[in-house]
Amino acid sequence: MITFVLFSIRRAWQGFWRNALMSLAATATMVLMLTLLAGFFVLQNVLLASLSFVEQKVEVVAYVQNTATQDQVDALVAKVQAMPQVASVQFVSRDQALADFRAQLAAQGRSDLTAALGANPLYASVNVELKDPAQLDTVATALHNEPIVRSVINIQALVDRVLTFTGIVRTAGAVILAVVGLIVLFIIVNTIRLAVVARAEEIEIMRLVGASDAFIRWPFVFEGALVGLFGALITLGLLLAAADPVSRAVVGFFNILPIELGPVGRDTALLVFGTGLGVGVVGAWVSVRTYLIR
Amino acid sequence: MTHPETASSSLFSRLTGRAHVSRSSRDVVVLHDVTKRYPNGRLALRDVDLVVPEGDFVFLVGPSGAGKSTLMRLLIRDELATQGHVVVDGDDLAQLRRRAVPKVRRKIGIVFQDFKLLPRKTVWENVAFALEVTGTPRARIKPSVDRVLALVGLTAQAKQTPTQLSGGEQQRTAIARALVHDPRIIIADEPTGNLDPVISWEIIQLLLRINELGVTILMATHQAEVVTALRKRVVALEEGRIIRDELSAAYHRED
Repeated sequence: MITFVLFSIRRAWQGFWRNALMSLAATATMVLMLTLLAGFFVLQNVLLASLSFVEQKVEVVAYVQNTATQDQVDALVAKVQAMPQVASVQFVSRDQALADFRAQLAAQGRSDLTAALGANPLYASVNVELKDPAQLDTVATALHNEPIVRSVINIQALVDRVLTFTGIVRTAGAVILAVVGLIVLFIIVNTIRLAVVARAEEIEIMRLVGASDAFIRWPFVFEGALVGLFGALITLGLLLAAADPVSRAVVGFFNILPIELGPVGRDTALLVFGTGLGVGVVGAWVSVRTYLIR
Repeated sequence: MTHPETASSSLFSRLTGRAHVSRSSRDVVVLHDVTKRYPNGRLALRDVDLVVPEGDFVFLVGPSGAGKSTLMRLLIRDELATQGHVVVDGDDLAQLRRRAVPKVRRKIGIVFQDFKLLPRKTVWENVAFALEVTGTPRARIKPSVDRVLALVGLTAQAKQTPTQLSGGEQQRTAIARALVHDPRIIIADEPTGNLDPVISWEIIQLLLRINELGVTILMATHQAEVVTALRKRVVALEEGRIIRDELSAAYHRED
């Protein structure tokens, strides 16, 4: 058994370097394809993060009657806070609303027209952030039925459109990632197959002298794993080198969106290693099958 | 002495009467009523009966496409017979499990017209390859390879690669590789087809020497003068049938 494993690994190593050109071509293909896959994977993650950022922006704004007392407002805030669909609640007083409005005008460089007004024309409001924008209707209706609520801004149609759009983009992203994954799979398997076919004569001799299937198969499987491993390592090296400048450029571009990417780096590394090793092994296994005992 | 020509009935009775004898490995190859039809419909062998006792030297003759190569491929179980039985050293190949196939192949050494050597390996490595890929411990490989290389007279060329060798030396390397498993039988498919007459004789002499050591030899050839001169057993195939099976015979029919 140990003889067998050592033999397989030694033969895989020899096989890799004796057909250096073919092996390097396979590895290069592997690197290109894995980079492509990793690129799409990261892009997909950025896309998903941007979409959830957009969805987080969906807010229910309920204006409160000027006659409402602080106790009533506090009660309303506590009640809304307790709803399971709600992520957070913020009360904006009339003074705060006016200050915000003025700040906004100033930021846009327009003159402050409110100074001409004798009294504050704005209402206080309860701003509700939702856990899931699809629940907008439930929360909006509940707020609408509160006696101290003057009105609820109806943004249902807008939210529906945002949700439809993000849904389409999500599905399209997943489909594109799946298609790219499949293409990568076929190209890598095919490349490994070429490396195996180039050694058809050697395999035939092995068969004729009475080598068992395992002795024919495993060296090629190890060789496929080697190609996968090298490919994954080189790809990760490239990605690591590229990650810093690219992310700086991307963040510079997107700095309006404070995107939460989470452990994308780890996931990408796992994806690259898993795909490289998996496809290398499976590709070799499938390619060598043709030559085994019928 | 002459084998009964196309005497499948008498061969059949021999077979049935000696079924257990053949299992005791007196007959190293037994084909009984073998028909091989390829998936494309071509009928390569029909009703072939052939018994080869251990230690025999058999010439397989006949025009191209007569079924010589198919017969050899059946023996190494590269193909399975459509009908009938192929028994090698007591194993019915049709009944053999896949895992047992390599073991049967190790009892058979195969030599081809085009040598089938690995060009990047040395002579020594080419021969050792047959042992390595069958899981032989390294300590046992060296003495075995050295022994067969001495037997075929290639000890001096052990470190050369096939491209540095003459055709005759390449074929002797292939024969050494076929021998290294200590096979019961050597199958040679036109082993001298690519060689000039003098070198051909050297190869035949080598095969005769190996035969004297007790290894059964089955050799397909077109070289009439070799067959006629040696007066060994001759099995003639034509259109998939055995049309002649004679001991001490010539390449062509003599009666």
